[in-house]
This record gives sequence, C-alpha cells and structure tokens, in this order.
Amino acid sequence: MANVLFTNVRVLDGTGAQPYTGDVQVQGNRILRVSRSSSSATGGATVIDGAGATLMPGLCEAHTHFAWNNAANFDDIQRMPTEEHVLWCAHVAKEYLDHGWTSCVGAATAKPRLDVVTRNAINEGLIKGPRYLAASQEITVHGSLGDETLPHIPYPEYSFGAIVSGPEEMRKCVRMFLKYGVDSIKLNLSGDNFVPFAPAETTWMSDEEVAIAVKEAKIRGKRVSVHARSCESVKQALRHGAEVIYHASFTDSEALDMLEANKDKIFVAPGLSVILKLLYEGEVIGVSQAKAKDMGYERELEAAVNSLSAMHKRGVRVLPGGDYGFSWAPHGTNAMDLQYFVKYLGFTPMQALVSATALGGQIMMKPNELGLIKEGYLADLLLVDGDPVSNLGVLLEKDKLLAIMKDGVFHKEPQMRSGRSSRWTLNAA
Amino acid sequence: MANVLFTNVRVLDGTGEQPFLGEVQVQGNRIARVARGSRAMHGSGLTVIDGAGATLMPGMCEAHTHFSWNDQPSLGSIQKMPVEEHVLWCRHIAERYLRRGFTSCVGAATAKPRLDVVIRNAIEQGLIPGPRYLAASQEITVAGGLADETLPHLPFEELNFGAVISGPEEMRKCVRMFLKYGVDTIKLNLSGEYITGLPAEFTPMTDAEVATAVAEAKLRNKRVSAHARSCESIKQCVRHGIEIIYHASYADEEALDMLEARKDRHFVAPGIAWLIHTSHHAGEYGITPEIAKGMGYHRELEMACETLQKMRRRGIRILPGGDYGFAWIKHGTNAKDLEYFVKYLGFTPMQALISATKLGGEIMMRPNDLGCVKEGYLADLLLVDGDPVANISVLQDEKRLLAVMKDGEFHVAPDVQAGRGRLAVNAA
Repeated sequence: MANVLFTNVRVLDGTGAQPYTGDVQVQGNRILRVSRSSSSATGGATVIDGAGATLMPGLCEAHTHFAWNNAANFDDIQRMPTEEHVLWCAHVAKEYLDHGWTSCVGAATAKPRLDVVTRNAINEGLIKGPRYLAASQEITVHGSLGDETLPHIPYPEYSFGAIVSGPEEMRKCVRMFLKYGVDSIKLNLSGDNFVPFAPAETTWMSDEEVAIAVKEAKIRGKRVSVHARSCESVKQALRHGAEVIYHASFTDSEALDMLEANKDKIFVAPGLSVILKLLYEGEVIGVSQAKAKDMGYERELEAAVNSLSAMHKRGVRVLPGGDYGFSWAPHGTNAMDLQYFVKYLGFTPMQALVSATALGGQIMMKPNELGLIKEGYLADLLLVDGDPVSNLGVLLEKDKLLAIMKDGVFHKEPQMRSGRSSRWTLNAA
Repeated sequence: MANVLFTNVRVLDGTGEQPFLGEVQVQGNRIARVARGSRAMHGSGLTVIDGAGATLMPGMCEAHTHFSWNDQPSLGSIQKMPVEEHVLWCRHIAERYLRRGFTSCVGAATAKPRLDVVIRNAIEQGLIPGPRYLAASQEITVAGGLADETLPHLPFEELNFGAVISGPEEMRKCVRMFLKYGVDTIKLNLSGEYITGLPAEFTPMTDAEVATAVAEAKLRNKRVSAHARSCESIKQCVRHGIEIIYHASYADEEALDMLEARKDRHFVAPGIAWLIHTSHHAGEYGITPEIAKGMGYHRELEMACETLQKMRRRGIRILPGGDYGFAWIKHGTNAKDLEYFVKYLGFTPMQALISATKLGGEIMMRPNDLGCVKEGYLADLLLVDGDPVANISVLQDEKRLLAVMKDGEFHVAPDVQAGRGRLAVNAA
C-alpha cells in the first residue's frame, strides 16, 4: 500500500466546494492529510508532483451490470455459457476501474452467482476491479421483463431473470440469493419499453410478493433494489422500503411527494442511456427513430426528464450510471451519464460530480469514509489531466486519467520515469 | 508485438548444442535471426536488450498440466469448487505457469467439462494471459475407476472430477460431447491410482471402450492421452494408438519393446514429482512416508525410476511435467521435474532441458517451429539469470527468470529501468 504525497494538484474534493490548489497525502488505504498549501512529505512518502492536474475522488457507478456483454439484445447475454460469462465479468470489472470507476453498485446479474463470485475475487485480489456490491439476478414474474423463455423452450436457464410466482416462491428465491452472498436483491417491478410484451408503464409484481422479498432481505440486513419505470412501481418501491430505485421515469405528484419524504433513505439511479441512445442513435443498431418512438421512448424521455428534474430540485439523491453494457452504450462509456445529468436534468457540472462521488460513498454504504477527498476517508482517487468542472468530457477519456488509486493502491500509476521527458517528476523524499 | 534484439546472451538453443555467446533478434512473433558473437546485428529500429551474459533459452513446455487442480490436499476439494470460482482459479493459474517460464502446456485433464477449453480460448483471444495450451477433456473413466468420486448415497455425477461411462456407446457419446466443446485431447483413465484406493496395476477399461474413444477422436483429428500406470494399460495405449502416455510406471520388457517400436508416435510424461512428493513430502497433509508406503507409492516410485531409465536408454521421448496442483506439489513449482529427471532418471541436465524445450515443441504439435532458439521459430523465450546446464534448479526460481516472452510478446519484461539492475536497454 502506498505512502504517497500528491503535491501541486487542484483538489476537487467531492463536497461541491470549488477546486483549490493543494497537497494530499495518502497513508495505507486512507487519506491522511489534505492541505491548501504545499507541505513537506512525512514518513518517506513518494512525492507525485501533479503539475496542476485535478485530484478527485474515484467515481461511483450506481447501476452496474458486469454481466451484460455489450450486445444489442438480451439473447446474447443468455447464450454466453457460465464459464465464458465469468471471464467476461472479470474483464469488465477491470474495465470499470480502468475508466475511473472505483465503486460500482451491482444492479443485477445474468446468472445466479456471477456478481457474487466477481465481488469475492476482487476482494481477494484475484482479479482487478472496483469496490463492488453484488446483486442477485432480476427477480421477475412470468411474462415480465427478465422472462425470456419461449413456449417451446420453457427452461429457466434461458432467462436472465429468476422467475417466481407467488410469495412463497419469492421467499425461496430470495433466500437462495442470500445464501449465495448477494449484497442486494433486485426486483423487476415494472416492465420496460425494450420488451414489447411488458412496456415501461406496466406494473407486474403483487404487493405480497414484494413484501416478502423485502422482509427476507431485511432479516439478513441486505438491501432491495428495484427496476421501476412505471409510476405505480415507484410507489410500490417506496411503500415497501426498497432503498435503490432504478429508472423512476413516470411519477405523479403523489409519487414525488413520497420520494421527497423518503429522500434520506433512498437513492434513484435513472440509467438514461438506454432511452437516449435508442431514441437518438438507434439507427446504427437498426432501431429507427420512428421505431424508438413506437416503442415508447420519446414519451418515456419526456416523463423521465420531468420526473428526475423534479426529484433533483426536491433534494432526492439522483446518481449517475445505469445499463451500460449494450452495443449502443458499451461498458466504460458510463461517464456520459454526468453529461446527461447536465443536459437533461438541470444539474450543474459540479452537482453531477457530487452525485458521482459524495453520493457514491453514500450508496456504497460508507457515507462517512468514501466519496470525498477528506482526512480519514478511503483513498480512492483519480488524477485527471484537465478540469472536469469546466469539461465533464475529460472523464470519458482513459488517457486523461493520469492515475487511478483504489484503497490506497495505484491501479494505474502516474508515468514519471526518471530521465525521460515528461511533465512528471518522481522524488523519493 | 516487439521487435527486439537480445545482445550479449548465452544462447541455449534447445537442440542439445552447448550454449554460445550470441545475439537473437525477434521480429513480430518469430525469431528472425540468431548469430554467434557480439555486434553481429544492427539494432536500428529495435528495442535492444543487453543480456549481460544471461542465458536465452526456449520457453519450457509442461507436458501434463491440470490448471483445474486447486493446490488442495484432496480430490474432493477440487469438486467442491463451484464452476464460477473454478474458472477464475484456472485463469489465475494459467498466468502463473507463464510467469514461471512455461510458455506451453499440454492439458492432461480438466475437472469440469469445459474449463480447459474456455481457458484455452480466452488465452488465444488475448482476454487472459497464459501459455500456449492444448485443452483436454475430463478424465473419462468407468464406474468404480479413478475419477469416479460418487458415493452410494450421493450418486450425482457432478461429484466426479471425471466423466463416468459404461460401455462403448456411452463412451462414444461422451467423447463426442467433449469434441463438440472443442477439446484438443480426449483423456482416458486406463489404470488405477493408489491414493484413491485403486491399485496402480488395476486396468479397468475394456478394449472395446478404448477403441471407440480413439476412433471417435481420430475422426475429428484429435489426440488421445491416457492415465496408464499399469503394464497392461501401457500396452493398451500402444495397441490403440494413444499418443500421450501419462505415468507408465509398470512397463515390462514387452511393453518397452512395443513402445520403442512406435517411439516416433508416443510421448511419455511420467509426472514423477507426484510419486516423489506423495511418497516423501506429504506428511504435513496426513500422508506420512509410512502411509504412502502402505498405499504402494514407494514401490511404484522405485519401479517407475527403473522403467523410465530403460525408456530413456531406448530413445523413447520422456517429457517433464505432471500432476502439479496439489497441496504438496503446487502449481508453479513444475521446473522441479527437470531436477528430478537428472536425480532419479539418469538424464544429463542438457537432456532434461531438451525434453522441456525441443520435445515440448513436438508434443505441442509444432515440431518445426516451436521449442528451439532457431531462425523462423516462434519467439517463446526465457532470459535466465544463470546457467541451467550447470545448475538445473535455477529454473525453479522465479526471480532468476529475467524475462519471459511468448509469441513475441513479453509477459515478464526485463527490468531495464535506467540506473537499476544489471540489464541495460537502448532504444536505437
């Protein structure tokens, strides 16, 4: 583990404060000291002269599917055998860290144990990846999003979701995932415009089923997250105490009031990329704009913009990330979300950065030690060549991430070989 | 891919030639030139690595590899590892082999149907680092044979690390399944194994079953390998044309004659370290030398040494590697086999090195472009701090492997940072 002093960096600390020039010292896996003046290294620290680059907290992706395999449909996810799927997840986990995502919240996996196994392997140091909260498969009901079986192929392995019917099947299913060691149980409460058989505004799961799932999860101290695009599903999530609400496109004033009333307990991660990509860039994968409108994406975008802007104004925690891992939005391009927040939801760039960092620490269940550059916080840091506040686009460019540190260990070390011409210099103090 | 010129290296070319001071140029994934002496080649446009007298030799080949054995003390713990963790384990181990200088491995059997195939494919796709790899099937065995780990009250086939069949038609179906998955080799368990309570001399598979397996594999141009400790199982291998014979401890004169007559076809990879370590170095895991002796391992080790020495004298190809991946014989320590070939089987160090390099190219089915430091050959190279001919054990020390190159790319790049280490790099 590092004993590192970053000097001459612009500290973007994640709190929303304007960046300032200063020094940050890391010892072990924590931030030891942050100062606004240049300080001298203590205890033999390696000194990294940032030459004015931005030092900021690592990003948090609030709605991650390692198991989605950058294809244009669900079928390709299901057709990948378990063995290949494990290697894929290992590969993608590193990809996230390579792009500056030092934390990810698993939003659902495609086969029962993929997320758990990947998280464990990261924690054991067997593979590289971000801090990760492992999810279950999407638990769904017959005929809804996640049920991909066909009449003549009725095998559950053919679905990326786990299909239940009734509270007792739900209980058994939730207990199985809890046995495997998930951090969160994912429920598909609403449909999705991507699947014509279950559009976004439909709501599928009975209150009895939702209630038993939440109850079983809470008994074991675990969290429930939901796919909830319809207004009714958002309310259902809030009624039952699900903490992480994905999408939340359709709301009414009652739903918004409920969201606001629960704003200290819940997180919303809209995952706008699917809607935006299919509506505006779908041609490349054979989805014309007319088709996308027909699927309901124009209507959903309008509703989502209104709902999420309203949530943001009401102080509901809205976080970036979501549903990357399709051909139209491959893993690694997730920082687009910060720009979407500014363009569509009325965030300032600084607010978007706060939601990707400070709020990230909160959704990772480490509100007092993750997501900020602050003394005592975990050393998840990015050294960025550029100013994300004036240009969020720099976060999309791997080359602009000069250094990536997770838990006090460099995943990407700043290049600073002696004797070569570069802006970096290395001094062992 | 690198265009690299190694200068000032002792070239140990894998053919049995004495090492000579020279220079080796790699272009793309092949060895472009080998020259004796110094300053024989221009370094312009190349990354020049001054080896400062280190030995440049071909990457080694492990002839009997089980990525999916998980460094535990029992077969049971192999089976208790779920498939997801098992994939990540194999991925982890594949890298370890490469880092320890094994640029080629021959899969000898995997513990779940597709592990070997998936790992080979991922290596070839560049998704994970690992050696060149020939993927094996599970061990195909008969009910009650080695690798049948089911219990009377737990008759579930997933409890087996082998695939259990009975009769030629079940064999055919099983072989076809593995061929469909894409294996390079079908593995048959023809004899027993003391540690499972089945004597090594036991030969339980019928000729009809073996014949069907070999016929199906050959239809698809694939190879068959066999776990064959008993004398009869060795003869079965020769009779049926099973090219790769693992263990071969109990060959009698007739078996040796049969093998010698077809020595251009067969490879023997004894996995001698398994016998040595199980006999003498497994006490920590409950297998004291007395227990091992009681099982039969001391007798087999003695027989195997005798038999393999005879094979060596008859010119039968014997290759190092085998059954690493147990607690007392962990993955990555495989270069011990070369030392054991010298100590127990009467090899000279140079002969042991040839068997790990040149013969490695042959068993990898690339006799004309793999396993030697020769112009036109694939650039699988090790830069070794020391002289393996004088001290074969240097290959066991990871720190002595200054560089590992596979297919023209460094997996372990020489540490050539300016001002550090004995090596110097010049961008010319």
